[in-house]
Parts: sequence; C-alpha cells; structure tokens
Amino acid sequence: MNAAMIDLAPALPEVFLFVAGLVLLFLGVFRERDGLSVVNPLVVLALLVAVVLTIGADKGPVLAFDGHFVFDDFAAFLKVLIYVTAALGVMMAPAYLADARMGRFEFPLLALFATLGMGMMVSANSFLALYMGLELQSLSLYVMAAFQRDSTRASEAGLKYFVLGALASGMLLYGISLVYGFTGTLSFDLLARSFLVGEGAAALPAGAVVGLVFVIAGLAFKLSAVPFHMWTPDVYEGAPTPVTAFFAAAPKVAAMGLVLRLLFQPFGDWAGQWQQVIILVSVASMILGAFAAIGQTNIKRLMAYSAIGHVGYALVGIAAGGVAGVNAVLVYMAIYVVMTLGTFACILLMRRHGRYVEGIADLAGLSRHQPGMALILGILMFSLAGIPPAAGFFGKLYVFLAAVDAGLVWLALVGVLTSVVGAYYYLRIVKIMYFDEPAEAFDTMARPELQGIAAVAAVLVAGFLLLPGPLLSSAEAAARALLP
Amino acid sequence: MILAQLVFYLLAFVTVAAAVMVIAARNPVHSVLFLILAFFNSAGLFILLGAEFIGMLLVVVYVGAVAVLFLFVVMMLDINFVQLREGFLQYLPVGALVGLILLVELALVFGSIAMEPALGGAAVSATEAGVTNTEAIGRLLYTDYFYLFQAAGIILLVAMIGAMTLTMRHRPDARRQDIGRQVRRRPGETLEVRKVPPRTGI
Amino acid sequence: MAEIFWGTIWPLVLLIVYILVIVVPLLVAVAYLTYAERKVIGGMQLRQGPMFVGPYGLLQPLADGVKLFFKETVIPSRANKGVFLIAPMITFILALIGWAVIPFGDGLVLADINVGILYLFAVSSLGVYGIIMAGWASNSRYAFLGALRSSAQMISYEIAMGMIIISVLLTAGSLNLSEIVRAQAEQGWYLFWHFPMFMIFLVAILAETNRLPFDLPEDEASLVTGYNVEYSSMTFALFFLGEYANMILMSAMATILFLGGWLPPFEVAPFTWIPGPIWFILKVCVILFVYIWARATLPRYRYDQLMRLGWKVLLPISFGWLVLTAGVLVAFDLVPG
Repeated sequence: MNAAMIDLAPALPEVFLFVAGLVLLFLGVFRERDGLSVVNPLVVLALLVAVVLTIGADKGPVLAFDGHFVFDDFAAFLKVLIYVTAALGVMMAPAYLADARMGRFEFPLLALFATLGMGMMVSANSFLALYMGLELQSLSLYVMAAFQRDSTRASEAGLKYFVLGALASGMLLYGISLVYGFTGTLSFDLLARSFLVGEGAAALPAGAVVGLVFVIAGLAFKLSAVPFHMWTPDVYEGAPTPVTAFFAAAPKVAAMGLVLRLLFQPFGDWAGQWQQVIILVSVASMILGAFAAIGQTNIKRLMAYSAIGHVGYALVGIAAGGVAGVNAVLVYMAIYVVMTLGTFACILLMRRHGRYVEGIADLAGLSRHQPGMALILGILMFSLAGIPPAAGFFGKLYVFLAAVDAGLVWLALVGVLTSVVGAYYYLRIVKIMYFDEPAEAFDTMARPELQGIAAVAAVLVAGFLLLPGPLLSSAEAAARALLP
Repeated sequence: MILAQLVFYLLAFVTVAAAVMVIAARNPVHSVLFLILAFFNSAGLFILLGAEFIGMLLVVVYVGAVAVLFLFVVMMLDINFVQLREGFLQYLPVGALVGLILLVELALVFGSIAMEPALGGAAVSATEAGVTNTEAIGRLLYTDYFYLFQAAGIILLVAMIGAMTLTMRHRPDARRQDIGRQVRRRPGETLEVRKVPPRTGI
Repeated sequence: MAEIFWGTIWPLVLLIVYILVIVVPLLVAVAYLTYAERKVIGGMQLRQGPMFVGPYGLLQPLADGVKLFFKETVIPSRANKGVFLIAPMITFILALIGWAVIPFGDGLVLADINVGILYLFAVSSLGVYGIIMAGWASNSRYAFLGALRSSAQMISYEIAMGMIIISVLLTAGSLNLSEIVRAQAEQGWYLFWHFPMFMIFLVAILAETNRLPFDLPEDEASLVTGYNVEYSSMTFALFFLGEYANMILMSAMATILFLGGWLPPFEVAPFTWIPGPIWFILKVCVILFVYIWARATLPRYRYDQLMRLGWKVLLPISFGWLVLTAGVLVAFDLVPG
C-alpha cells in the first residue's frame, strides 16, 4: 500500500531510461532548432549508462513489482546486448536523418522508448508485462518506420507494419486470454508451478495449448519468422535506412529473449507441445530466407530475407532445447547483431552524388575505389554466409550441434543445406565488389561513427576465434539462469 | 428480479442488434452511430453486473471521446464505401472456411476440458463487503499492477509523441497570435498624436 | 398478485412520480431561465426586456413555447431524416437524465449511486452527440461546420473539466455526489480550497454548454446559428430546452463540487433555519447569473483563441493543480478514507 514499499532496484536500468527519456523529451522540445544534435548523443549516453547499471545490478534472480518483473543473468545478458546494440543504432542515425531532412529530435527518443520496451520484454515475468513491453516497443517502431513522412514508401512501410503488427498483437492477446481462461493465472511463476501440481502427468489443458500456439504466432510475427514474415521485406526496404538498421538488430534480440523465457520457464515442462511448432517455423524460415533472397537487387531487401533466414537458424536452437540449445541461441543472436550492425553501417555509407543508394549493383567494383570498405563488407558477408573462420560459422555450429545432441539430426541437415544455398547470395556480393566492372565511386564521407562501427564489427567477426571466451561464458551463465 | 432479467434481455438484445447493424448499415455514419449504441448498452450490462465503475468508464472514454473522434473522421472522409465493398463477397468462401475451421477447433477445445479445478480458485475473487468497486480497482491498480499501470502510461506517452511526430507541421507562413506581445504593447509604441493644421494633411 | 404489485409495480410507480417531481419543475425553471436571461441582459443594457405578455412579461416564455409548438416542422429534403429527428431528442433527454444523481438535499436524490460524478461527467460528454448528429444530418455546410466546431470544443474542455473533478475527488475521497457534499461540511467548501479550479470550472462549463463567450458552434455572424440552422418549431425548441437544461445541470454540478451543495454558508441560527434544497437552488441561481452576466459582457472568442485557452492554459493549470493537490494530501497525511 505504501509507495515506499515498491522496490525499484531490480529495474534500475529501465527506471533510469524512462526518467532520461522524459528529461530528454523536455530538452528536445526546448532546443527546437538543434534538438537532434543535442538529444542524440545524450540518448546514446543514457543507453550506455543503462548498460553499466545492468552489469552492476544484483543478478539474484530477483523479482520486483509483485512478480511482474524479473531480473536474472539471462535478462542481464540480453539487456546488455540490447542496450549496446540500440546505442550503436542510434549513433548511426543522425547524419542520414539530417541528409534526408528529417533531423528531428523525436527519433532518438522513440528509439530510447523502444529500447525501454525491449528491456521490459526480456524482464517480463507475466503475460501482462510481456504484452506491455511488446506494445511499447512496437508502437515506437511503427512511428519510426513512418518517420520519413514525406516519403510514400516510408509511410507505406509504417502503415503495413502497423496494420500487420496490430493483427499480430490481436493474435497474441487472444492466445493470452485463452491461456488465462484455462489456467486462471497470467504469472509465469504461477504457470510454471501450476502445471506441476497434482499428478505431474496431468495434461496441459487443450485450451492453453491452443492459446500457446496463438501466442507463438504473435511472437513469430515480431521475430519475422516464416508464416508471419510478409511485412519484413517491404518494411526493411521502405523505412529509412537507420530505422531498418535499428529494426534489424535490437528488436530481434528482445523478441528472441521473450520467446526463450516464455517457452522455457512457464511452458518448459511442455516442450513436447510447442516443439513441432517451433521446428515448422524454423524450417520454413531457413528455406524461405535462403531461396527468396537470391533474386533480390536491393540490399536492404536482401538483408530482410537474410534476417528471416537467421531467425530460422536461431529457432533451431530453441527446438533443440536444454542449456546447450539456449546457449547456442544466445550466442547466435549476439553474433548476428554484430554482423547486422556492421553491414548496415556499410549500407549507410553508400551515397553517390548526395543521394543514398541501395542497389546491390551499386557496389560493383567497390574494391577499386574503397578497398577498406570492400574488405569490411566482404568479411561481414563471409560471416553472414557462415564460412569459417568467421564468427557466423561458429554461431551456426553451436546451434546445429545442439540440434544433433537433441536428436534433431535432420533439422541440422536442413540448416546446413540452406546455409549452402544462402552462401550463394552473400558471396555474390563479394564477387560483385571485387570482380565486376566498377560502377561510379561513392561520395567520400567523413563519418567516423559509421566507419568505426563497421570496422569494429568486422574485427570482432573475423577475430571471434581468438577470443570467444567472454561471450560464451556469459551466454552459458544466462542459459543456466533460464534453466535452473 | 424479473425486472433485472427484463433489463438484461433488453440491453443484451439491443447490443447484439446494434452490433449487427454496425456491419449491415450502408451508410458508414450510421455504422458508427450503431457502434455507439452498442457501447452504450454494454455499459448498461456492466452496471447490471455491479461493475458500475467500468460501465461509466466505457461511456466516458469510448462513447464520450473515442467514438466522437471516430465519427468525426468518418463524417469528413470522402470515401465511397459501396465501391470499397465491391468484391468483398468473393473472399467470403475462404473467410467462411477459415472461420469454420477455427470454430470447430475451439468448440472441440472448449467442449473437451473444463477449467482445471486446482487452478480455478485463483481466478475468482469477489470484492470485499463494504468496498465499492471503484476502490477495489484502485487498490489493485496502484499495488499489484503498479508496474503495468506505469507501463501503460509510457505507451500512451509514446503514442502522443508519435502522433505529433507524424502529423505536426510547422508552417512558417502561418500568422500566430502572440498574446504576450499584444499585452506588452503600449500606446506610445504604436500611436502617435499629431496636430494637423487644417487643409494640409500629414 | 399483491406481492408483485408491492414488490415490482409500486416502486415503478413511485419512481415515475419522483421523476416527474424533478422534471416538471426543471422544465418550468428552464422556461423562466430564458425569461431571466432576457430580463437580466436587458437590465445590464439599460433596456426593459420582455414586459408585455402578462405582468412584467412573466408569461413571455409560455407565449414563446406556444408559438414554437404551432409552427411547422420543416425537414430539409436532403437531410438524413432519422438522424435529423433523433438529434434534438438526444440533446434534450441527456439534459434531463443527468438530474437523476443530483442531491437536492441530504438524502433527497433519485439515484444515490457510488459513481455519481462519473455519471454526470459521462452524460455531459454525451451531449456532443446531439450537436454533431444534428450538424451532419442537416446536410448543410453551416450546420456541419457548427457541429465540427462544437465537438472539438467540447472534447477539449472536457479534459480540463476531468482534471478539476479529479482534484475534488481526491480531497473528498468519494465519487458519490452526496458524499462529496458531506465532505465539504467537514472540510469547508471546496470553493476555498480549490479556488483556481473553481474559476477554471466556470470557464469550462461555459464552453461545455456552448455559451458565450464560447458559443462558436452557433456563431450567428459567421455560421448563421450553426448546427441548428435547419431546425424549426418543436425540434428547435428541444435544442433550446436542452441547452438551458444543460446550463442548469452544469450549475448544479458546480454547486455540488465547489459550493457545498445543500449546505448553508454558516452553521449558525438564521442560516440553518432555511432548508437545504432552498440553499441549493439559491447557489445554482448564483452560477446561472454568472452565465448570463458573461453573455451580456464578453465578446465571442475566435476559434484558435478558444483552443489555445483550453489546451495551453486551462489544461496545464488544472494538471498542475491536480499534482499539487495529490502532493499536499500525501505530504500532510490528509488522504481521506
């Protein structure tokens, strides 16, 4: 009853982000002219402070807010990943925004609130908290997708994303209401416990299973996994590039974290009920990601199909289950995020005569004009294709090993085959850059933040083999926190 | 008790009839008006259930605010809805099939299993005697669901920022009233009294 | 049979009698409010006001009513007939049903419901439908413009009103109108505690009932008379009655929230002799006088000024006051209940 009794400590990073968002909102409103240039670095700073707070917090696991919020090693791992990724995503944006004459301070703020929503998602410990976090994230992203309001394509992307996202939310809510109706609780803890009581063999109520399927469908939409992927290519292509970069990285991690917690904590004992669904989605995503990307000419669209495929690979880990599976998913997502951010940093550098270009053909002969950028992009493409010794290979390796251990050999086999198909279009980009007749050179731009991010991503991806320890051990700790 | 039942059937019937008319009405404005009628009767049903707070909120929020804006938009839109509906029927078989499958599945689910008795207890909790349901909702909202309440607030904030970001345009040529300036202005700054000699002008 | 009669039918009959006891005087009050308005404005402008029909012109409202009643109801040929006819009824009925929860004295209330204030707020927010439907169904540009202005205006000022009401609720600790009045018996009238809110409330109810200086929806000069331009005879009379009944309802709301409802100003002998309902009516009359006074004195606002006042002045102030109220209540441990 007393306000002082509410313990904010476990949610300190989120509380900090929220307060920072409000303060920066005021700041932006009062600094109307140069709002973006003031607010943007501060948002990055706030996200980095949130990273520090997350690392420093007590990883109990602790519950807060009457059990709606949980903070443990798993949440900490994902939050660090999300906040860092989001900070980099925000850092990449202002130059492009200013060029496209949409340099308004709301952009970094929306990104900040979206990130706050992601933090709430990975810490959600009840269906209500899950939904709130998800909606906060989605709503901010809808607006960001349509941020370039003078562009028909961006508006179309925003509208498509919004309508389909609302549909997905509807399915999610319907599923949640079924689960609630058949079990009488929305809390993950109570759900996990209530399935165990009585004669352990008591089946999950059929209604709850139907509900769970709807929930997975809703979340699969946010992950852009296959039967619910239709929005991805259009939105990736239509939205302004920094927004696409933001979309492609942090939200995927958050949604994956949400799926992991949901499936392994409250429904952890019912893997049999959801495993086929995940396998189906995973196989479909891998296949579509591999084949549909082949004919693409727009690099953002290509990245959209690539994202679909990568989500499919990550889902293999979920299907495998166990600490090894979860561990593999976490590692995979971390590596995926690094590759994606690096690639988008390169895409943001593709400007010719003051206009940003997105065609794959525009990259032709890049090695002649800008050997550095060609090298970086080449490394990233090798990694995305999963060719050793780049990091992408190890991500896939862990996932497939987990699948083999879990007896899903055929699933791993499908994964390997689709990787081979996928390698074709990634390597085609390398071929275009190095062996095709050179196109006109890109503008030379001094964008240290973009060049830095791309270079660091390439170094991390190429050098993963040398120092894999920190990532693997923290992912392991996170996986163990999820599956005690 | 007979009276309460009669009122229930009246409200329920009007709600359902109005809901049907929402999709059946040819004129979109009529659809919205029927929607409002349906809201209104649902509020009546809530009150009949003893949930007067929710009933009133439904009227204040949905009927009093949301539907007004909705009506506003529909009245001003110049869309030929008849044209929009053309070809609507050709999707009917597919839609009906999907709906039918879903219905059968759900019927199977609901028919096969009643609520788990072990878990049912947690779901139902009546209001304590002497506590109005406004107070009961308030107590829950600011204690157990405090986190979600705040989260909902943040979502609404983002919705506001989003609406402004996507629609507000600064028109440099618009002439705005600056009340501070108007009030600060003194006669000496704008008025000048001159003596004009006859037949000369200024 | 007897059981059904005493159990079901008799309460219904009683209820109908109660309703009539409220509604009939209300309608008379509405009629004489128009008379009072013309007299008061006449006085303020050094005129006589109505003075020929009956002694001091006292029968003027009846004459007006009879005139309207015998005129022809004209329905524009391109109007949307159903909606056109329903709109004035909605306005009129909404102005009446609000009275169900108004306590005229201690215990003198038709329906003493727990969420009385929300009910009143809901009824007042529904008022916009009569106007917007009338404007749309008339199929006339002036009427439609009037309706649009009016709905935007009412929605805008409702928000500030809501904030004010919440401040009062926090102090009283109840949503029941009778309880709010009783709380004022202990704590003193909220006129004193929430004086700035009282002033804003007065402004907001002027806007909410579309009265001068905020009568943009019927702005004669630019919209001919706005949403009701196509209405004649009884349909027009219903709008007219509804508007004035709404004024009285809003005055009653202000009385209950800020002026201590049926309470006498001082709990000492000569004041306590006068029964509560009389005090209530007197207070309502004071607020109604303010309505008329404003009409006689103030020029009409321009539309952008109206919106500016609502959103950029009244709303922030009432928000700030709400936060202040809550803060003070918590800091000094004064939270009721």
